[in-house]
Amino acid sequence: MAREAAARQTLFALRREVARIEGTLADRLAMPAAAAGGSLVRHSGIVHAASPDFIPTSVPRLDERLNGGLPAAALTEIHGAGMRDTGAVTGFALALASLALQRNASSRPLFWIGTEDGFHEGGFPYAPALLKDYGIAPERLILSRTRKIEDALWVASETAKLKAVSALVIEIRGNPARVDLTATRRLQRRASLAGHPVFLLRQSSGTGAAEAEPTAAPVRLLLAPAPAGLRRTISGPLAGSIGPPAFRVRIDKNRNGLPGQFLLEWNPETHSFDERPEGHAAENNGIVVSPARDGPDPAPAAGTLMAFGEAGSGSPRGEPPGKQYAAYRGSRRAG
Amino acid sequence: MVSHQENNTRRIAALDERAETLGLKHGMGIADARAMHPAVEILEHDPEADRRLLEALADWCDRYTPLVAIEGKDGLFLDISGCAHLFGGEKRLLDEALSSFLHQGFDVRAGLASTAGAAWAAARFSLPPVEKGAEKQALLPLPLAALRLPAETRERVESVGLKKAGMLLSTPRAPLARRFGKELLLRIDQFLGGVEEPISPRLPVSPLSVERRLMEPVTMHGEIEHLVSLLAPTLKSDLERRGEGARALRLSLFRVDGFVSRIDVGTSRPLRDPALIRRLFQEKLAALEGTIDAGYGFDLIRLSASVTAPFEAAQADLSGENLAGENPDGEEEVAMLADRIRARLGDGAVLKPLCVESHIPERAVLQAPFAERLPSSSSTPSQFGGNVSILPQRPVRLFGHPEQVAVTAEVPEGPPLHFRWRNVTHRVARSEGPERIAPEWWLASGQEQTRDYYRVEDDDGHRYWIYREGFYGEKTSHPRWFLQGLFA
Repeated sequence: MAREAAARQTLFALRREVARIEGTLADRLAMPAAAAGGSLVRHSGIVHAASPDFIPTSVPRLDERLNGGLPAAALTEIHGAGMRDTGAVTGFALALASLALQRNASSRPLFWIGTEDGFHEGGFPYAPALLKDYGIAPERLILSRTRKIEDALWVASETAKLKAVSALVIEIRGNPARVDLTATRRLQRRASLAGHPVFLLRQSSGTGAAEAEPTAAPVRLLLAPAPAGLRRTISGPLAGSIGPPAFRVRIDKNRNGLPGQFLLEWNPETHSFDERPEGHAAENNGIVVSPARDGPDPAPAAGTLMAFGEAGSGSPRGEPPGKQYAAYRGSRRAG
Repeated sequence: MVSHQENNTRRIAALDERAETLGLKHGMGIADARAMHPAVEILEHDPEADRRLLEALADWCDRYTPLVAIEGKDGLFLDISGCAHLFGGEKRLLDEALSSFLHQGFDVRAGLASTAGAAWAAARFSLPPVEKGAEKQALLPLPLAALRLPAETRERVESVGLKKAGMLLSTPRAPLARRFGKELLLRIDQFLGGVEEPISPRLPVSPLSVERRLMEPVTMHGEIEHLVSLLAPTLKSDLERRGEGARALRLSLFRVDGFVSRIDVGTSRPLRDPALIRRLFQEKLAALEGTIDAGYGFDLIRLSASVTAPFEAAQADLSGENLAGENPDGEEEVAMLADRIRARLGDGAVLKPLCVESHIPERAVLQAPFAERLPSSSSTPSQFGGNVSILPQRPVRLFGHPEQVAVTAEVPEGPPLHFRWRNVTHRVARSEGPERIAPEWWLASGQEQTRDYYRVEDDDGHRYWIYREGFYGEKTSHPRWFLQGLFA
């Protein structure tokens, strides 16, 4: 018994060390029996008590998978399959930004950074829609338009440092070599120090698809538009109408939780997400997100996983069982 | 030797001393000159290049005074009032300027006087510096040419026997004015100082500037930045005395060989803080890396506030919170960041959408360059209060220029069934509309047509904003379809 406890203690120390080295934003680690509840390991090994470091998405199942919501002070990647998905990706990012803005009621601005090509190809975020559908006043939106991707990244990394920014959206097309692990790591670190979310929107352009690359973002979401539901009126759904925007979201990478797939609908009145059950709308023609580029999730690692199993059993609600957890950790290292 | 075209003959326009010693003269025909000395080198006269050179010299003279004006084709006026003591007196300033010009290979004549007219004459007739009050004595022996008269007036004055300027002074004024016009008297008065003659500086004069002269020229950007941080506190105290902050700053770098580089940065709020000024120039210099040719180095650096505005000092109450209720530091941070981005990437790099009163979607929002206080527009939608539901539904992305699409649609007034956009055909699964937007006839461009907007969703769930311009069935024009935006 004593030996087992000592082993667990060692294991926990090792995992904390690993978390510190990796700079994991908020890995909820199972504490040894002595400390009750969880703790958060942040940068530089500073241990904080569990704090509202997440933006709840108002969809219970999604929040559960994300282990509390989207990280509020971190980089989040949002991938769209192609140029045509610009509208959906923009809408989803604005929805997340709107949720982030609701959390702090100050009038801090929302920065939207892109390249001239990107704005030319995909258009400018349109202020009246921001106000109507997302509750973001035009005065709070600041656009940055640069000629080169290097400049856009420079603007992004400088803006990410500011504490007086409520959220930051960077739009990148294709797979430029500049947007590598170093650049995303810088964004991730600055976002976590300044305490605001940074959304990295990636879409394929004419030249090449935006493939999932190793980045420092703890969460990566794959996004595709879904046929909208019907407009709700007093006398029931209005036939043939185009209701609130719907998105098909897949959690492709998740440092703090599990992957998963969701069909979400943004409610422009309450500024919140609703989950729509599959096959709810009659028009739903079963479009799914394109499969992951690197194939399905890797097979669970073989062999006995005693230690992980033990840790998992003591973890709070929402933690995966041992086997699945191991598989997830394996895939995280891969990507 | 320089030639120019004059009445179908090419004549000598200018020549150097060596050509003069050969016996050539100004105004001589080129053919004659060639006959006399076949070996002379002849260049075509280029007035533009002369002008540019003169402007470059004027730039260089900025180091002595900000008030430099170009006079005619070959002269410069320097108003050194209040500047001379910086160089140890007027005489010392003159000597230094002359020797610097000589070292640069220019043959310059200079005059020093308390009136522009007298200085002009002193430079051209090699007079010693004319003291204040001594203009009359100086003018007496001079020919009429010293009075800057038009050639025609001069000839008429000479034709009555008044060959010397001094003779004019002893002549009654009224008959002179009657006979030769007012300009003659004006010139005399300007010479003597009876009439003020303002010189109009070539460049706008900055309200405030500070500068530093260097014994050893600097070339490195780091050194320039350091100098900026040395100059900025001085500028700050000057700005404080005036209760102002700088809205635009200019850094002038005077290269030893006379070339002047000017670097401008704008700010979105009045600025005083030396550290912030330094950071702005740091960005600008980083952006200009490689484009500023330091040559042999800069020997004079001037930092000026070219535009200033009243500076409102933020008043904090006892608890440290701003009275206005906003988070002042945050706002400042954002403004400073915007300034830095603008300094580095240009004015168009930071934009703020500005809602304008217009029904035409692309006109309803202006992407204005970021400034702290935008002109308040009367129709900012947030002024609808909380009731945004009355606003029409608009796409999240709007194209600056609507893109034409090929559409199959119900005729005459139906939604599209298929459309081809960017070489991909989309089948429309559902559509909503039309929302009719009529042209703004009160602006009277007269060319615009009514638009019918449809929200359409294709089979994949992408949602677009498509409009038809014009109507089917009209004889004059065929309607065209455009895609203007993307919905979420």
